[in-house]
Amino acid sequence: MSGLMPLFQREIKKWYKDPIFFFVGMLQPLFWIALFGSALDFSKFVPSGQSTFGVSQILDGAPNYITFVIAGVLTTTALFTGIFAGTNIIWDRRLGTLSRFLISPIRRSSIVFTKIFASIVRILVQAVILIAAALIIPNGLVFQNGFNVFDALVVIASITMIAFIFSSIFSLIAIRMTKMNSIFGIINLINLPLMFASYAMFSKSMMASWLGNIAQYNPVSWSAQAIRMVIVNGSLTASQMGTLGLYLLGLFVLTVILTIACIIASEKEIRE
Amino acid sequence: MEIIHTENLTKVYKGGLKAVDNLNLSIDEGQIFGLLGPNGAGKTTTIKMLTTQIKPTSGNATVAGINIITESLAVRKVIGVVPQDLTMDEDLRGIENLLMVARFYDIPRGESLRRAKELLDLVDLTEFANKNVGTYSGGMRKRLELVAGLINEPKVLFLDEPTIGLDVQTRTRMWEYIREVKKKLNITIILTSHYLEELDELADTISIMDYGKVKVTGTPESLKSALNGDIIILGINGNEEAEKIKKFPDAISVQLVDEKTVRVKVASVDSELPGFFEFLLANGVKPQTMSVERPSLDQVFMEYTGRRIRDSEGGEDVMKQRINMRRMRA
Repeated sequence: MSGLMPLFQREIKKWYKDPIFFFVGMLQPLFWIALFGSALDFSKFVPSGQSTFGVSQILDGAPNYITFVIAGVLTTTALFTGIFAGTNIIWDRRLGTLSRFLISPIRRSSIVFTKIFASIVRILVQAVILIAAALIIPNGLVFQNGFNVFDALVVIASITMIAFIFSSIFSLIAIRMTKMNSIFGIINLINLPLMFASYAMFSKSMMASWLGNIAQYNPVSWSAQAIRMVIVNGSLTASQMGTLGLYLLGLFVLTVILTIACIIASEKEIRE
Repeated sequence: MEIIHTENLTKVYKGGLKAVDNLNLSIDEGQIFGLLGPNGAGKTTTIKMLTTQIKPTSGNATVAGINIITESLAVRKVIGVVPQDLTMDEDLRGIENLLMVARFYDIPRGESLRRAKELLDLVDLTEFANKNVGTYSGGMRKRLELVAGLINEPKVLFLDEPTIGLDVQTRTRMWEYIREVKKKLNITIILTSHYLEELDELADTISIMDYGKVKVTGTPESLKSALNGDIIILGINGNEEAEKIKKFPDAISVQLVDEKTVRVKVASVDSELPGFFEFLLANGVKPQTMSVERPSLDQVFMEYTGRRIRDSEGGEDVMKQRINMRRMRA
C-alpha cells in the first residue's frame, strides 16, 4: 500500500521524539497494574482458612486478582491507546499535515492504517512492560500452570486484534471529524460501558446476571477471556480450546470487517 | 503546448453554492499562470479540483494530458502542490519532512537526499535543515512548503496564495524564490493570489476570476493596455489653464477634478509626453505639479467586475461566503 512505510515511520518517530508522550505511555500501564490490580484484595472477601480456594473460585481459577485482571488490563490498555489513532487523525487535519498526505500520490487508506499500526506497536510495547511489572510486584502475576510459546502467541494475537479493533473504530469515527471535543465526547460515552460491560475487570460469576449476559457479546470480553485462559490455565483441555477458538475467531472476524470498513471509508470519505 | 485544459468545470457545494461555474481554461506549458480574484472567487476550489483533492460536480479537466477524475493518482504523481495552509509536520526536522514527502513518490533514498539538499539550498534553508519545523519562522515555513512541492520534479506546480499572511519584505523574498524556481526548473506554475502586485510581478498570463467565472484572460500588460491610456495628473493655477489644457489635440479626455487638478488621459505617456510639454509651453501653462498614473491591475479588475478588489475583500457577503465555503469543503 503506497505511503504506508513513510507514514508509519513518521508515527513512530513522533512517538519516541516526544519524551513525555513516550514515558507517560509507558507509565500508564504500570499504574494500572500496581494500583488497580492491588486495590482489590479478594482474600478479604472470603472466610479465613479457605482463602486461596475461595479467591480462585471467584476469579475463574486465578490465584490472585492481578493474575486474573492482567488480561483485562492488557485489553483496556488497547482500548485507551487505540483512542489516539482517532485523535491523531484529527490533529493531522487541524495542523494541516493531512492536506499534504491528500495531495500526494499515496492511498488514502495508508493514512488511516498507519495510525492503526502505530497504535498496535505502542500497545504491544506497553503490554511487555505491563506483564514484566505484574511479574515483579509482590503478590503479582503467577503462571501456576506454565506459559509456553503457544500461550504467548495467543496473548500477542489477542492484543494485536483488540488493538486493531479499537484503533480502527476510533479512526473511522475521526475520518470526517474536525473537532477534538467531539471525539472526546464519544470516547467518554463509550469507554466505561465497553470496559464494565465486559469480563475485563470482573468474572461473570461476580456480575449481575443481566450484565454478564450482555458482556459475553463484547469483544473486550473475548480478548480478556482468551488471554486469561492461557495465563490462568496453561495447557488447555479440548473444550477450553474450542472456547478459545471461538473468542479468537470473533476477534478475527471483527478485524476483517473493520479492515474492509476502514479501506472503503478512508478511500472515499477522508477530507482535509 | 497546452498543459492544463478544463471543460465546463463546475463545483457546487452542499447548500447550493456554485463556487466554480462552467470554467473553461487553456493553459500553455512553461509559463507562470495567475488566477486573480478576491476571496471566495473560486480560485482555491479550482486548484483543489485540478489537484484532485475534490471532485468536480460536472465538467472535466486534464493536467499534463491526464484526466483529473478517472486518473487522479496519476495526476498527483506529476504535479507539485503548495497549499494555502501550512502542511509540514512541525515535530519533524525540515529535511525529515522533505524525505518523507519524497518517499510518497517512491523516489530512491539517495536521490531524494540529493534533491532535498539541493532544494533546501535553493531557498536558503540549508543551515536549518536539521531543526524542527516548529522552530521555523512563517517565511521559512512557506519556503519549505515551496520546495516540498518540488521534490518530485513536477511538470506543473500549483501555488495557492503562496504569500498570504507574510509581511511585505518576506513576500518580496518569496517572489524572488518563485522566480528562481521558474528559471532553474523551467516548469509551469499555476499561481493564485488576491494580491494584484504579486501577479503583476510574477505572472506571464492572468485570468481574473469572480463568482466562479473567468472574466478576462491576458498578459498583465495587455490587460492594462486594453484600458486605453495613461493619465497625466497636473496641478494647475485655475480654470483658465484648465480650459487651455482641454484643447490638447492628442488627449483622449480631460477631466477637471477640482480648481487646481486636471487629469489628462493619453494613449501612452511614453509617446505623448514630449508633445504635451511642447503644447503646455506654447500655451503658457505652467503646472505646479505633475504625476503620471498608468493603468493598474486594480483598474483592470474594476473594469471587468465592477468593483475594486480591495473593496470586495472585506464585504460582509464575501466573508460569509468564504466561511461557508470553508465549512462545506470540510
